[in-house]
Amino acid sequence: MAENNNFPKSWKKSSKPHKFCPGCGQSLALKNLGFVIDELQIADKTVYACDIGCSLLTWDMFEIDTIQTHHGRVVPTMVGFKLAKPSAITIAFMGDGGGYAIGAQHLINAAMRDDPITAILINNANYAMTGGQMAPTTLVGQKATTAPNGRDWQKVGKPIHGPEMLAEIAQEGSYIARTISTDIADCKTKIRKALQNQIDGRGFSFIEIISMCPVNWHTDALQSLDFSEKEMTKVYPLGEFKCPQKLA
Amino acid sequence: MPAKIIIAGEGGQGVQTIAKILTKAAKKSGKNVSYLPSFGVEQRGGVSLAYIQVSSRPIPYPRFSKADFVVTLSSRSCETIKNFISDNSLVIYDSAEIYEKDINELKAEIKRFVAVPAKNIASEKLSTKVANIIILGVLSAQLKDISFQDFQDTVLMELAAKIKIKPELKELNNSALQMGAEFAQNYESSDHLTGKSPDETVRSFENDKVKWTRFPEYCKGCSLCILSCPVKAITFAKDLNFLGTPMPIVDMEKCIGCGKCMQICPDGAINVEKK
Ligand SMILES: Cc1ncc(C[n+]2csc(CCOP(=O)(O)OP(=O)(O)O)c2C)c(N)n1
Ligand code: SF4
Ligand code: SF4
Ligand code: SF4
Repeated sequence: MAENNNFPKSWKKSSKPHKFCPGCGQSLALKNLGFVIDELQIADKTVYACDIGCSLLTWDMFEIDTIQTHHGRVVPTMVGFKLAKPSAITIAFMGDGGGYAIGAQHLINAAMRDDPITAILINNANYAMTGGQMAPTTLVGQKATTAPNGRDWQKVGKPIHGPEMLAEIAQEGSYIARTISTDIADCKTKIRKALQNQIDGRGFSFIEIISMCPVNWHTDALQSLDFSEKEMTKVYPLGEFKCPQKLA
Repeated sequence: MPAKIIIAGEGGQGVQTIAKILTKAAKKSGKNVSYLPSFGVEQRGGVSLAYIQVSSRPIPYPRFSKADFVVTLSSRSCETIKNFISDNSLVIYDSAEIYEKDINELKAEIKRFVAVPAKNIASEKLSTKVANIIILGVLSAQLKDISFQDFQDTVLMELAAKIKIKPELKELNNSALQMGAEFAQNYESSDHLTGKSPDETVRSFENDKVKWTRFPEYCKGCSLCILSCPVKAITFAKDLNFLGTPMPIVDMEKCIGCGKCMQICPDGAINVEKK
């Protein structure tokens, strides 16, 4: 049988096909993450935490010690782990509902304290696992099950800009960026930097990854690509909002 | 006699549809009935389970650990239903959908079974969409406490909205139910657990510079590879992936080996290698 080089070595083979929907951008982000973990050869010292939301579908994604927590608690859990075992590489993986709303306090305080972990947040502009409710990241005018006429910013406020906000409170030595899962090169580069920053022992690292959710957006593949690459990046520009000189 | 029934299959195979029909038919026949649907946490593509009990007496608790009737519609759900099989269970499975190798993994557990090639009967005589109703027909022949008339009426009631849009569905579903029941009545038991033979899907395609390989066991048919190919070398083929949706195929006269399709595939279902 032909060898499959399209499978990160850090992915657990026996749990594949993974549990994400067809065409899910979140699973593409996780493939990119898997390849970067391979490249950096850190699988054996990495600890991975997934949140509640579709991210929990990764409880058996990697051949890596994994823990699952509730809404945003991936952050303090990984901070605790890092304190107890500073040689570990800790990854906190969460959704935008968990990280920016229900458990937002954790992300903010970790950035403020400059906790030396790597946090990765998926921005799919909705609460996906529960069926497409409005999230802090839902675009103005975008329909959601709890905003059937589209998000009305005068009633519920404007979309949250996570990396920009965290960059304001984070200390020097933090790495904070936004990427998109379908730009493979950009996504991998930023994941690599966010992990390297932790490996170098510099400080807090955070990336937001824009990702398609075709099921809750009710879009086909082309529309999903268009919405995430054109509409979402207009509101959520890709870029690095804080980058230590050594990583630039 | 109370009957405990478990039905398992892939999301989209119609497990919960036949579970609902069975539940309502039992009620119509004056029985007590409990129905507990259970899906994975996935939005799509997980195993879908239905726990049903039918009894003349009150039903205290909707769950159970061993079932009298164990119904499985897909290879992946065979693993799920394993623990529900006892020596008295009758296992009903779609032998045109489940691989022989997978059903034989349960050889030690299965004492009595009905192997019904529902998917083939459906696609040859009716429409692939009614394979689940054929299975329901087989089940109806075992559940003597519920009248066949009640099954027939409930099928039409439950699908009324769809029949309104597509009137031919009425006859299709009615025939499917009857074919299932007749299949069960004429069924001769055997010792051999038959099933689908392994697919002979072509996996690799080559030109003088590139080897392009697809993995039907991982592909989910999302079509991102098709959209990402700069020379439009990929299209959907007739053959199917593990979810039963179309799988991409490549035209090696066009492929330049850029690897874009491989990179974008969220499931790692394409491998591109330069020679
Ligand atoms: C305190 C609390 N409130 C609500 C829920 C229900 N819940 C489970 S997953 C989820 C949505 C998570 O959305 P997000 O973080 O955006 O992740 P996604 O599913 O989009 O990947 C919610 C609201 C919960 N588990 N706990
Ligand atoms: S619901 Fe959306 S985010 Fe969740 S797995 Fe499906 S496509 Fe991905
Ligand atoms: S991108 Fe991957 S999963 Fe999607 S259709 Fe192509 S091969 Fe299948
Ligand atoms: S390798 Fe490039 S050219 Fe070949 S099929 Fe894939 S995307 Fe198209």
